[in-house]
Amino acid sequence: MVESKQQWKAWLYLAPAIVLLLIFTVWPIINTVAMAFMEDYSGLAKIGGDASFHFGFGNFVKVAQNAEFKQALTNTIFLCLITVPVSTVLALLIAVALHAIKPLQKALQTIFFLPYVTNSIAIGMVFAAMFNVIGSVGTRRPLISSYGIVNDIIRFFGGNWVNWINSGSDYWANMFVLIVYIVWNALPFKILILLGGLTSINKQYYEAAKVDSTPRWRVLTRITVPLLSPMLAYVVITGFIAGFKEYTSIVGIFGESMGPVHEAHRLNTMVGLIYDSLASNNQGRASAAALILFGIILVVTLINLWVSKKRVHY
Amino acid sequence: MSQSTMQVMHARDMQKTSGRQKILKFLGQFGIYLFLILMAAIVLFPFYWMVISSLKSLAEYRLSPPTFWPMQVLITNYADAFTTASLGVLFKNTMIVGVISTLLSLVITVFTAFAFARLEFKGKELLFAALLATMMIPGELFTITNFATVTNLGWRNTYTVLIVPFLVSVFYIYLLRQNFLQIPNELYLAAKVDGTSDLKYLWKVMVPLSLPTLISITILKMMGAWNSYIWPRLVANDEAHRLITNGLRNAFTDTTGDVNYPVQMAAVALVSAPLFLVFVFLRKYIMSGVSRSGIKG
Amino acid sequence: MKIVLQNLTKIFPSRNKKSHEEVVAVNNFNFEIPDGKLIGLLGPSGCGKSTTLYMISGLQKPSSGKIFFGDDDVTELSTENRGIGLVFQNYALYPHLTVKQNILFPLQNLKGKDKLDKDTMLNRAYEAAKLVQIEQLLDRKPSELSGGQQQRVAIARALVKMPRVLLLDEPLSNLDARLRLQTREEIRRIQKETGITTVFVTHDQEEAMSISDMIVVMKTGIVQQIGKPQDVYDDPANLFVAKFLGTPPINVFSGRVKGGTLYIGGDAVMDIQTVADQEVTVGIRPEGFVLDDNGPLKCKPTNVEVMGRDVSIVSTHDASLNPLVRSIVNADSKIDIGSEYVRYAVKPHKIFIFSKETEERIYFEVK
Repeated sequence: MVESKQQWKAWLYLAPAIVLLLIFTVWPIINTVAMAFMEDYSGLAKIGGDASFHFGFGNFVKVAQNAEFKQALTNTIFLCLITVPVSTVLALLIAVALHAIKPLQKALQTIFFLPYVTNSIAIGMVFAAMFNVIGSVGTRRPLISSYGIVNDIIRFFGGNWVNWINSGSDYWANMFVLIVYIVWNALPFKILILLGGLTSINKQYYEAAKVDSTPRWRVLTRITVPLLSPMLAYVVITGFIAGFKEYTSIVGIFGESMGPVHEAHRLNTMVGLIYDSLASNNQGRASAAALILFGIILVVTLINLWVSKKRVHY
Repeated sequence: MSQSTMQVMHARDMQKTSGRQKILKFLGQFGIYLFLILMAAIVLFPFYWMVISSLKSLAEYRLSPPTFWPMQVLITNYADAFTTASLGVLFKNTMIVGVISTLLSLVITVFTAFAFARLEFKGKELLFAALLATMMIPGELFTITNFATVTNLGWRNTYTVLIVPFLVSVFYIYLLRQNFLQIPNELYLAAKVDGTSDLKYLWKVMVPLSLPTLISITILKMMGAWNSYIWPRLVANDEAHRLITNGLRNAFTDTTGDVNYPVQMAAVALVSAPLFLVFVFLRKYIMSGVSRSGIKG
Repeated sequence: MKIVLQNLTKIFPSRNKKSHEEVVAVNNFNFEIPDGKLIGLLGPSGCGKSTTLYMISGLQKPSSGKIFFGDDDVTELSTENRGIGLVFQNYALYPHLTVKQNILFPLQNLKGKDKLDKDTMLNRAYEAAKLVQIEQLLDRKPSELSGGQQQRVAIARALVKMPRVLLLDEPLSNLDARLRLQTREEIRRIQKETGITTVFVTHDQEEAMSISDMIVVMKTGIVQQIGKPQDVYDDPANLFVAKFLGTPPINVFSGRVKGGTLYIGGDAVMDIQTVADQEVTVGIRPEGFVLDDNGPLKCKPTNVEVMGRDVSIVSTHDASLNPLVRSIVNADSKIDIGSEYVRYAVKPHKIFIFSKETEERIYFEVK
C-alpha cells in the first residue's frame, strides 16, 4: 500500500536471515546432494580430509549393502507401523473422553500434555530405570536384587518377570519398551491437536445425533471421526515423519550403544546410521543415507496424502 | 381404562425410562472418568517414579517388593547428582547458549517477518515460498554439511557453533508473519502519517501486538536449547561447552545393570525441573505455539 | 491552508500480469480547495475518491500532476512531513494502547525543534480529547469503546498534532444510522471550531450534502462536477450527477424534443424553444411534480405513501426508465388513487434534459 522506492530497506531487514540461510540451509542442500554422489570424499578439508573423489552411486550401494542399514530400516519401519496407529487411537480416545467431561477437564488436559515438555534423553533414563533388572541377569543362576518396578507389577498380578533391556534380553522385549516410551512421548501433541479439532466441530451435529438417539459408539465412528479426519490425517502424517526420524528415545533408554549390552547397535535407526557414518568421517555415505531417508519420508508422506485425499472429509 | 389413568401410566413409564437413562448416563460418565484417570496415572507414573526414586537410598531402591514412598527421604542424592554430573557447568553453558540464541533469533525473526508481512520488494512471494519449502527437508540433511562447514570454519568446541547455525527458523518466521498480517495495514499507514519510522512502528506496535507469539517462540527456542542433543554432541562435546542433555547422558553412560539409580534419577529430576517450572507458569503459550507447529523445541 | 490539485493523475499497473491494461484511478484532477472549508469527495466505489485522498495524504504518489498545500509544492514530500491528520475508515486505533496513549502517539514522534515536553503533550492530548468530548474515556482501551467513541478517538489523534489538513476516509460508514447523523454533525462542529481545511471521502450522497461546504462528484477517475451541495443538486452537469444526488432519486424518462416542445412518451410536457430536435433523457426531481387536473404528464398511480408532512405518490409511466415514478407533493393535496391517471404539471427548474448520447446536460430557457 505504501509506495516505497526504498526496496533496499526491505533487503536490509532480510539480510541477517538470508546470509545465515545461504550458509546453513541452501548450501547444505546443494552440498549434501553432491556429496552423496562423490565416492571416497570427506568434506573436512581443513583437518586433513582426503580431497580426491570420483562421482558415482557407490555411496548408495554401500549404504544399501550394509547389514546395519537393513537392520536400521527394519527397526524404523517396525517402530513407525506400531507406534503411529497405537498412539493415534489412544490419543483419539483420550481426546474424545476429555471433550465429554466438564469437571477436571483442564487439570487432566494439563497432565496429558506434561510428557511434551520433557527431555527425551532424561525421561528415557527414567523408563530404563523402570524396566531395568538389578542383579546378574542372563547367567545360569540369576541373582537378582530388584526386578524393577514394571516386573514387580507383573509379578504382583502373578506373571513371570521379563528381561526387558538388560544383557541377554530379547529383541522383541527391547522393541516393546521402545514402543511404550515412544507412544507415551507422542501422546501429548496428538491429544492437543485432536482436542483442538473436537472443540471446533459444530455442536449442532451432536444435537442432531442426540435427537435421533444415536448410540455413543456410533456417534464416535460416524460423526466425530469423519469430521475430525483432517486433524487425524495431520497427526498421522507428522507422526510418520517423526517416527522415521526416531533416535533420541533409543539413546535415552539404551545409551549411545543403541542396544542392550550383549548386542550393541541392534536397535539402531536411520538417523542413528547417518550420525554413525558422520562420526566415522564418511560424509558421502552419511549424505547418501540422508537422501534415502528423505526419499522414504517423501514417499510415505505422499502415500499418506493420497490415502487421506480419499478418506478425509474437509 | 379411562383416559386419565392412561396418562398417569404413561407419565410413570416416562419416569422409569428417564431414570434408567440417568443411570446409563451416570455409568457412561463414570466409565469416561475411570478411563481418563487410569490413562493419566500411566502418563504420570514415570514422573512419580523419578521423584520418589531420587529420594531413596540405594538400599531401599533395591528392595523387592518396592516401596512407593521413601522410608527415609534422602536429599543428599541431589547434591551427589549435582557434583557427579557437574551440573553447574552444564546449567551455565546451556543458559548461555539458550539465552543468546533466543535473543538473536527473536531479533532476526522479527525483522524477517516484518519484511515479509509489511514491506514491498521484488520477488517477495517467491522467496517466501522457497523458505517454506525448506521446512520439508529433514534436518539431518543439513547437519551433514553444516558439520563440515563449522569444522572448516574452526568453530568446533565453541559457543558460536551451538548458537549461530540455528538462529534462523523458517517456522518461527512463518508463525510471526501470520501474526503480523493479522494486524490491519491501516495501523501502519496511520503510523506513517504520524511520522513513525519503520523501526519504531515495529517496536511500538507490531511487537506488543504479537507478544503472545513472541513468548511462544521464546519458550520453544529455550526448550530447544535445553533438549538439544544430536548437534551439540557432534560439534561441542568438550567439558567447557557441553550442554545439559549431553552432560546427563555422558555422566550416566550405563542404563542397565547395577546402576546407582537414586543419584541418576536425582540428576534427571534436576534437568527436568526447569522444564516443569516453565510448563506450570507458561503452559498457555507452549500449548498455543505447539498446536500451530508440531515441532518439538 | 488551501490545497491545490493540479492535473492530478494516478495510474495503477494492471494486476493481471498477462494483460497490460492499466487502471486510471484518477484522471487529470484540477481543484483548488479553499482554506478552512469542508470538502466532500463523493462517488460510487472505484471512482477514485479514496485514491485522491491517499495522494493528498502522501501515502500514494501521483503518476503525474502536482499537489500544493498553500504555496508549498508537497508532491514529492513524504507523508510524515506533510503535516496532515488522517482518520481511517476502520479508525486504525492501536489496540494495545489506551485512548490517551493513542492520542499521544503522534506527538511522541516529533523530533528536533518540534519536540514537546511531557506536560505540553499531555495538555495537547487533553485538549484534543475535550474537543471531541471523550475526556472521560482517556484510560480505556479501544476495545472497550463503542464505534462512535472510537471514531472520536481517531479524530482526536488526527487533530492533536494540529495538522494543516485533516483527511477523513469514509468516516461514518462503520456507524449505525442514528450515530451517523449525530457524528456527522459532530464532524461539522469540530471542523468549524478548528477551521482546519478538511477533505472527506464518502459514497453516501446524503452525508456529503448535509455537511460539506463543497462537494466533488467523481466517476471512474474523472471529476464530474464541483460545487456547493445545493448548487450541484439544483444544477447537475450531467445525468450521472443528477442520478447520484437526491433521495428519493430523480425520475428518469426517455423523451425527445420536436419543434420546440419536450415530449415524454406521448405527453407534451413543456415548450423549450432553444433546443434543437433530438432524442433526450429527461430527469424530474420528485419534488418537481405538481398535481394538476389539466397537467400534461399522465401517470398510472399504484400507491400512496404518507410521510408526515409530505405525500409520496408512486406511479408508472410508459416512458419512464425506472420501474416506478415517484413524486413528492404537499400532504394537503387531494389524491384519488382509484382514478385511472394522476396528472402532473412540472416545475421548470426541477426538470433537466440530457443528451441521449453524451448524457451531458442540455440547457434550455422556458418561455
